[in-house]
Amino acid sequence: MSDVDLLPALLVVGPILLATVPVLLGLRYDRTGWSVALGTTLGVFAGACYLALEVYSADGVNREIAVIHELGGFSQPMGIELVADTFSTLIVLLVAGTALGVLAYTRVGGPRGNTFYSGYLLLVGGLLGLSMTGDVFNMFVFLEIVGLGTYALISSGDGPESAFAALKYLIIGTVGASIYLIGVGFLFMATGHLNMHALGGEIPGLEGQNLQLARAGFAFIFVGFAIKVAQWPLHSWQPDAYQHAPDGVTPLIAALVSTVSAYALGRLMFTVFGGDFIAATPYAAAVVVTVGAVSVIAGSTLAVIQTDVKRMLAYSSVSQFGLIVAAYGLLTETALLGAVIHLIGHGLMKAGLFLAVGVIALGYGARTVDAYAGLAQHRPYVAGSMAVLLIALVGIPPSIGFIGKWYIAVGAIEAQSWLVAGVIFLSTMLTLAYVARLLERMYFTPRSALESPRGTAGTEPGPAAAGGALTDGGRAMGATAGRRVTIGMLAVVALTAVIAVVLGFSGDVFTELLAPFIESAELEVSP
Amino acid sequence: MSEHVVTDPRPLAAVLVSAIAVVFIVASYRYPNVREGWSVLAALAKFGIVASMLPGVMDGTIYVWSLEEATGLQFVAGVDFALRADPLGMLFALLASFLWIFTSFYAAGYMRGLDEHAQTRFFAAFAASLSTAVGIAFASNLLTIFVFYELLSLVTYPLVAHNEDSEARIAGRKYLTYTFFGGGVFLLAGTVLVYWLTSQAGEATLAFEAGGIGLLTDAAASDPAIAQAAFYLLIAGFGVKAAVMPLHSWLADAMVAPTPVSGLLHAVAVVKSGAFGVARVYLDTFGLEFPTAFPLSVPFVGDVPLNIPVAILAAFTLTAASIIALRKDHLKRRLAYSTTAQLSYIVVGLSMLHPIAVLGALLHIPAHAFGKLTLFFCAGAVHVETHTDYVSEMAGIGKRMPLTMGAFAVGAASMAGIPLLGGFVSKFYLLIGAASGAEVATFGLEVIWLWIFAGALIVSGVLNIAYLWPVVYTAFFESEDRHDAKPLLEFRAGGQPESYGVLEGEPNGVVATDGGRDANGEDDGREDESVIDEASDGTTDHGEDDDAPLPDHDDPERDAYAVDAHPSDADVPFGPGSSDSSDGADSEHVHDHDTHEATGSHDEHNDDRSSHDDKHDHHDHHDDHHHHGGAPMGGWERKSPVTFAESTWLMLMPITVIAIGAITLGIVPDYAVFLELADTIVEAVTGEGVR
Repeated sequence: MSDVDLLPALLVVGPILLATVPVLLGLRYDRTGWSVALGTTLGVFAGACYLALEVYSADGVNREIAVIHELGGFSQPMGIELVADTFSTLIVLLVAGTALGVLAYTRVGGPRGNTFYSGYLLLVGGLLGLSMTGDVFNMFVFLEIVGLGTYALISSGDGPESAFAALKYLIIGTVGASIYLIGVGFLFMATGHLNMHALGGEIPGLEGQNLQLARAGFAFIFVGFAIKVAQWPLHSWQPDAYQHAPDGVTPLIAALVSTVSAYALGRLMFTVFGGDFIAATPYAAAVVVTVGAVSVIAGSTLAVIQTDVKRMLAYSSVSQFGLIVAAYGLLTETALLGAVIHLIGHGLMKAGLFLAVGVIALGYGARTVDAYAGLAQHRPYVAGSMAVLLIALVGIPPSIGFIGKWYIAVGAIEAQSWLVAGVIFLSTMLTLAYVARLLERMYFTPRSALESPRGTAGTEPGPAAAGGALTDGGRAMGATAGRRVTIGMLAVVALTAVIAVVLGFSGDVFTELLAPFIESAELEVSP
Repeated sequence: MSEHVVTDPRPLAAVLVSAIAVVFIVASYRYPNVREGWSVLAALAKFGIVASMLPGVMDGTIYVWSLEEATGLQFVAGVDFALRADPLGMLFALLASFLWIFTSFYAAGYMRGLDEHAQTRFFAAFAASLSTAVGIAFASNLLTIFVFYELLSLVTYPLVAHNEDSEARIAGRKYLTYTFFGGGVFLLAGTVLVYWLTSQAGEATLAFEAGGIGLLTDAAASDPAIAQAAFYLLIAGFGVKAAVMPLHSWLADAMVAPTPVSGLLHAVAVVKSGAFGVARVYLDTFGLEFPTAFPLSVPFVGDVPLNIPVAILAAFTLTAASIIALRKDHLKRRLAYSTTAQLSYIVVGLSMLHPIAVLGALLHIPAHAFGKLTLFFCAGAVHVETHTDYVSEMAGIGKRMPLTMGAFAVGAASMAGIPLLGGFVSKFYLLIGAASGAEVATFGLEVIWLWIFAGALIVSGVLNIAYLWPVVYTAFFESEDRHDAKPLLEFRAGGQPESYGVLEGEPNGVVATDGGRDANGEDDGREDESVIDEASDGTTDHGEDDDAPLPDHDDPERDAYAVDAHPSDADVPFGPGSSDSSDGADSEHVHDHDTHEATGSHDEHNDDRSSHDDKHDHHDHHDDHHHHGGAPMGGWERKSPVTFAESTWLMLMPITVIAIGAITLGIVPDYAVFLELADTIVEAVTGEGVR
């Protein structure tokens, strides 16, 4: 076992083990959580980068170039393996990068305390495990770890809403995970395997009763993940969770938890079941596509009518993940490529957007769409970054949002699925509907049109004024007193916006990076 | 003449120069002079870069810059992000960058003249718009043009919503909806379909080729329905910005933007990008043979070439929009509908597919640009100097702004296609094209259609005179205290039987030989009147019911109100205002105020009556609450045209230059480069030049 093979295990085990450190140190020191979390995520990020270099510099079939770690030295099909292939490595990079970026916010703005950072590291470890696991039962375990981490983080918010949202997430999320577990049970009955690679080899050859079991397994797994990914109408946990989680937590949850779940669904659909199996199962592809397409429309519609910005963006996630799920269901190479790109792109954009929302809530005191009036004038930098991200979310080129949409659209046309193609093209307008509403508030509605959200003094423009607002002696900012918008926060938001645009020129890079995985899915090739 | 392709960074530089200027403009927001200096500098640099490529392009060189060659990155699989300066692109880029130079001066004068807010945002967005417009011009494939098309919609949105009031926001919403429906939905869908079609016939490509993408024609043979869908989606996508009915209504609403925007963007850069896109679709994507090769088969009619429905829509648009323009009192709206009509000239010319008609259509892009920009600049100058927006308030304004209104007359004549002006040359070619097409009767058009289109062009030309001449007439040949009614504006659609014997306040329909009873002092039963009005509206006196919302007063004041409500009534023979009533010193104070109030209700009323008019005309009366237009008390001050005293040089210089440009295009089209460029384009597409 070479050195690199250890990396996947280290990436998963490291954060989880180090999650105990803040609590332990907390017995003696007050503020160590952030430093520990920073050190850990920096290490994780470096490791992820090294892993990516290894994986993407190699040539060959997906399975060959993947970095695989066999836990405890037990080889598959018996042992559990962690697989960093071309698909999961991208997700690992996203998780590591986002986790690092969010820390820039939480240092001053987010929930503090050592226990928070324990939960933070636990969640990061769980997400990395979920990304890399090569075993369907192990996936359930990581799903639960992620669920618990998320629960802990959401409930760290103030007030009863956070507790309620966390409980709602816990219950609904666990139901989802349990349904998934039932699906895994069926698969195990049908094939006798839990290893993904082994399952992928067995399933195409199934016949008779075993085939029925596998099909039932697919149904359970899809429904289970429809809950985790928050597809309409199983999305109800998600807006509450996003809205009531502390501002420092929402970016992490919004960008990563659903994204990694959607990744897991893709992994199961294309590595375990395979395109042929899904295509051969009556209505399976149609159901997947329909769920996705309906989510696109329902999510956007619900987003338009929200007044709270975080909630609006939460419903936007329902819609954007709908696009990804629909793309999965199209079962063409181009659509799958588009889904993966959009998965990454959406994670990135939502992380940036929720960070911006946090910064704005902290420095400007605005949380509702109406309160965003005049933002551009008073907070030009964060407003500008947020505008860029929102525009990227609509899919206006050049941006990562467009690249994903382009491939999904081409995939839909290739599959000659005109209805989905129509929904995808219309999704631009649907997204625009809520994005334009926010942009209009930020840029074209003078603040004077509404009552000032927090007093009148200390509103000179520029982010530096945010902290100075306290000097007005006006009403203190309650829970956020003493916190201010730092350069770091703004830098992270701006950096995300820049990345979202720059990646918009690199559609081809993704194509090349992901080519081995796309080929391994054995889908219909563009004619 | 041989084509050869040269890799050159200049197309990119031409796009980027104003994008980079945006940064400087924003950075120097504290120093207005420096900021405007950047605008001018960027405009000059952009024009210089574009013009430096002109000799090469005329000799058949095509300058190309591609992201893939420069960095090794493909934009998306199989499609490069590339810019190329070919003759068609040069036509548009040259036009936009040339006109921007003068617009940047004009914009400075206009925005300062009105002391507008958020000027930095305005100039930044303006520079960005030009960047994307040149990007559209130089885009070398459908995806690149899509990228810039979307960006153009995006960066012009702040300009439309500039005023930050609810009217501007609503117009902005409408603008976003229309343009993104066109770009993000239609255009993207069409692009994806073309991508898919070519990928079936060979390697997927979206790159423009003069005369049509070869693979696309091959692929269309196996799947004509998809190719037709792609064709119409692309046309519809570009048709939104070209304001082809029924996708036109954003344009009139976008007139809430400051006038430089209406002028350069909503008469040249943005809308022409739509017309330009249609040209790209016809000439460089599908080719001129495609519409006839894969006709639609319509039940009961037989095979209809694909271009016919487009041409019919455009011909309808250019006629209908001209008719609507007749009844617009707000000058900018009148010009907006005129733009709608003129853009359809281009679309109809392209849709006729005959080389000469295509030449005419391409030439109409610059011809209309010069003429319409002059008109908008004049309208803006009048707005800045006198806050007059309505044609009905412009009587005698020629005294106050002689040079401006003189330039307006030149622009109007160019629009109408009067010889020796730019508009004539292009319309001439359009008509010749229609006629020669009729002779040949190829290109998929039945002869009868060509004559119908030619007829529509001529009718619209007459209508052009009908809606622009009154402005010139009222400015120069009428005076503020003595002018006629504007029948098309003030009377109901279709006109109304008029009896000039009726006095204000008379019961309707009663022509009293004795002069009637005195205007009733007491409540004279307005309800009654409106009932009668409805019952026998054929005999209402000209619009007097407009003052219905006004309270009743004693006689002298009543008279004053009536006159103020309809300044134009003052000189209608036997009209109530022909006496001294408007001179009453005691009514001076209320005069101004009531003028705009009453005009407001007047417009509203007009709209109620003409249901075919654009519903959103209610903005007209909304506007009224902001401005106090019309002649000041005592009439217009007389200014000399030669001393440049009527406005600032920042506005007068551009107006003069652009008007001279319109004349130049008409007198020596051979020396103004556009005709030659257009001919080069036609030659590349059809194999032989027209001239």
